[in-house]
Amino acid sequence: MSIFTEKDGITRRQFFKGAGMLAFTAVVAGVFAKVGVDVFAASDDYIQKRAEGLYTLDEQMAIRKSHENPEILQIYKDFLSPGEIKPVSEKAHHLLHTRYGKDIPGLIEELATHHDAA
Amino acid sequence: MSTVSTTGIITVSNECKACDHCTFICPTGAISGKLGEKHHIELKKCINCGQCLINCPFGAIEDYSMVNEVKAALADPKKFVVVQEAPAVRVALGEEFGLAPGTNVKNKMYAALRKLGFDKVYDTEFTADLTIMEEGTELIHRVFNALGVEGFENSGPLPQFTSCCPAWIKYAEDKYPHVLPHISSAKSPQQMFGPVAKTYLPEKLNINPADITVVSVMPCTAKKYECDRPEFMSSGFKDVDYVVTTRELAQMIKDAGIDFLNLSDEKADKLIGLSTGAATIFGATGGVMEAALRTAYELLSGQTLDKVDFKAVRGLAPVREATVEIPVKALGKALPVNVCIVTGLKHVDTVIEDVLAGRSNYHFIEVMNCPGGCINGGGQPIRRDTY
Repeated sequence: MSIFTEKDGITRRQFFKGAGMLAFTAVVAGVFAKVGVDVFAASDDYIQKRAEGLYTLDEQMAIRKSHENPEILQIYKDFLSPGEIKPVSEKAHHLLHTRYGKDIPGLIEELATHHDAA
Repeated sequence: MSTVSTTGIITVSNECKACDHCTFICPTGAISGKLGEKHHIELKKCINCGQCLINCPFGAIEDYSMVNEVKAALADPKKFVVVQEAPAVRVALGEEFGLAPGTNVKNKMYAALRKLGFDKVYDTEFTADLTIMEEGTELIHRVFNALGVEGFENSGPLPQFTSCCPAWIKYAEDKYPHVLPHISSAKSPQQMFGPVAKTYLPEKLNINPADITVVSVMPCTAKKYECDRPEFMSSGFKDVDYVVTTRELAQMIKDAGIDFLNLSDEKADKLIGLSTGAATIFGATGGVMEAALRTAYELLSGQTLDKVDFKAVRGLAPVREATVEIPVKALGKALPVNVCIVTGLKHVDTVIEDVLAGRSNYHFIEVMNCPGGCINGGGQPIRRDTY
């Protein structure tokens, strides 16, 4: 009962069977494509909404620039660079900066020496 | 040493249906497996981002949990347990309680954390602002060095890459060691918070640093790996003790029987809890760049910005670029600053190869592994409605 017989032409019954299968395949493919597109759109949609949430919150904040945060100014003046606001001070460098890749073992050694001395 | 280094953060459970979806999601090709066989994550290649986890249609991928250690610290009366929360957590945590994506729940989040027993509730946004101060200053030094200004000879090369994303850092270390001198030496906001909490707080609050436990709530699974990196002990202790994800915090709130939606609004504790809008937008792709531009512009020009929005760096396209003219007072002229933003590590290779070949004219490049930034991190609520 193959669709493709070796005879020339096909019977009416065979034509309906083939057409039916093609139509069914097309519908199934269409549904899957729609699902795929929807999934993609939905994923972009919630990312977009979370981003909008952050930008809206930014607009509502009393202070919108890092260098105007009074607690930031205080930590520099009281602790990281006593008496002044000086990023990348020696203490800031020790506490707030790091190294990468092959430079890490040396950093670990330096930190261990620093803490032994302290 | 915790078990993280031997087992990895992200693992495939026996629920794996071998559908192969994760192998297309993974930015580093770390997942392999034949169709029909349970898949396997290659520890060396995995950057712990958890994108496979949040995109697995069968929920068959899991992340290493530190929730029990956090609960033990909270139950220990000798421990002074402080907590920090990343910007992206506050616009997604509500989804676990039925709210729409993007709903800001930060004031309920602070209240819930106090109810869970944290001694102080601070905010990673404070150290995001600190990151801008340190990383922004470093960028200015690199630019001055490139322009031949005296006194900046020891500054690193341009362009400067951001360093906030631990998945990006591991990727660069594994695949592009020559690009490492271009990455800002400033620690990520999470890792700045740890040493600040264990050195500055003891001085101000008169507590013993050995008693302090630092917990992070992160939208990210790679932050669990980051806190366990052995070099992060500049306080003399492990700087950040434990990390829980947005999902895990939601579960802890539910386990404790807290009625989250009916909590009254609270604020973060003072000293290292105050934040700005610049810190808030760190959670979205382009946010670190925009925060840095706001500060760099004002510090370099000596002028106040009329409008703080730099909308050119916003959006969800995987690679974006912009040029911002900054009138630099010290140089007496305007400097065009070229910036680039990459979201999704699959798109970073060509940008890096241009830098290494000397073809790049950017000054500052922001790289975040997750598409859309931390708001779409591997520790965020899983959107089952997208399947």
